Amino acid sequence: MSKIEEVKAKVEAGKSKLVPGLVQEALDAGIAPGEILQAMVDSMGVVGEKFSSGEIFVPEMLIAAKAMSKGVEVLKPLLAGDGATSLGTCVIGTVAGDLHDIGKNLVSMMIESAGFDVVDLGVDVPAETFVQTIKDHDNVKLVACSGLLTSTMPAMREAVAAIKASGLDVKVIVGGAPVTPEYATEIGADGFAPDAGTAAVKAKELVA
Amino acid sequence: MLTKKQNLMETMKGGNPDRFVNQYEFMDIILEAPMDLPLAPGPGTRIKNKWGITFDWPADQLGSFPMHDEEHKALKDITNWKESVKAPSVFYTDEEWAAAEAHAKSVDRNDKFVTAFCAPGIFEMTHHLMSMEDALMALYEEPEAMKELIDYVVEYELAYAAEVVKHIQPDALFHHDDWGSQRSSFISPAMFDEFILPAYKKVYGFWKANGVELIVHHSDSYAANLVPEMIEMGIDIWQGAMTTNNVPELIKQYGGKITFMGDIDSGRVDFPGWTREKIYEDTKKACEECGKLYFIPCLSQGLNISSFPGVYEATSEIIDQLSKEIF
Repeated sequence: MSKIEEVKAKVEAGKSKLVPGLVQEALDAGIAPGEILQAMVDSMGVVGEKFSSGEIFVPEMLIAAKAMSKGVEVLKPLLAGDGATSLGTCVIGTVAGDLHDIGKNLVSMMIESAGFDVVDLGVDVPAETFVQTIKDHDNVKLVACSGLLTSTMPAMREAVAAIKASGLDVKVIVGGAPVTPEYATEIGADGFAPDAGTAAVKAKELVA
Repeated sequence: MLTKKQNLMETMKGGNPDRFVNQYEFMDIILEAPMDLPLAPGPGTRIKNKWGITFDWPADQLGSFPMHDEEHKALKDITNWKESVKAPSVFYTDEEWAAAEAHAKSVDRNDKFVTAFCAPGIFEMTHHLMSMEDALMALYEEPEAMKELIDYVVEYELAYAAEVVKHIQPDALFHHDDWGSQRSSFISPAMFDEFILPAYKKVYGFWKANGVELIVHHSDSYAANLVPEMIEMGIDIWQGAMTTNNVPELIKQYGGKITFMGDIDSGRVDFPGWTREKIYEDTKKACEECGKLYFIPCLSQGLNISSFPGVYEATSEIIDQLSKEIF
């Protein structure tokens, strides 16, 4: 197995204690930091697919993400200032009136693993806060709105409307248990994802 | 007409029920029993319970949430759980038990089950203490410590169960523990088998060895992949079976070994501006697709309540109406 394949395998398996050493070995072998980072991103893509298909569950996704973050720590000093490695900034939050955050946190983790910089606004986020955050940060390409409660779907509609009305050049993706592709289209979102794995794939498609 | 209890037993055994079991009608849940419930008392309140977990119930929310910021997280390091986690006493005074005892005595046990209530549940307790992300990762990173913590919670539940049995002699148990989201179980069946199944075999085994005939487990979630485990641990009724589980298919596969209570998703019918028409549509679909046996039509929410006034009652009326239409 090549160094890169070893890194990929251990990220996928969530071996956070092994990944930093393997990343260093790959660097020592002359492999470019960007290539190693992409390999880890690809691993998380596989993890996301397996989660979406029900082959793995939340703990496996969490430990894989942790393994990747440990690997990224080794690469960070070598990637500093290299904006080409980022797909852009994603602003994410659970909409106003809703405090559920587990699903949003998983999406945030997977989108970051896919190569985005993430600004996480937390929960109960008013529509105007989404808009202001886009204005306050550089290179925001995507906004992700999460909601779990049927009763807060109007707040999701309001958030999407406010972002679109602002005229800012961003895509909007929505998700959460009561959200359907039809509702996403109805409220003017650019994309919908039923789970964290699919969200990362869709995020990359939207900004490509 | 069969009594509520008789009708339930016919439904569970695949016999001849004369109507649909109507949601929670067969259980008289003794909520007066003293216990340290995992909730803030009401909207706009915040409490720290006897486990050291802080629950906040914002005024405009439907329920309370455990707080897991750095200041409030009860268990920050699973390897030191013994220093951070102290179970409350299960002993309460005679005065504290009086209302529960009186309620239990008033129940006609030929008609309904005197039902003990237990929450939040063993799995849920772990993430109330340490946050969902920390708890799920600890299952991989510190499995021995997690097993010790789970054993500690089991010992608490067993001690509490002994007190409940002593005071109200329950015939049934309604036990809460959410094991999944709407679309997936939180952990794999293999991980569940390692950590959760043994715990519940002990707990449910104790209740059944001490007079309880019926274990009703609440998990308003997807958990179809855990039904074999539910059967193994002694669950008689899974309450909260959401439509995402394909309940008709589960009934075909497991009916006779376990009964499914739910298939009316609260999120679809219980919201401001709810309508009787929508409740009728979902309830009729559930009753027609799931059939008369091994199935109890019920809102997926736990307990005989709804988040918005009138929904639970309207659902009960509609189930009675559908019994007349279908039986």
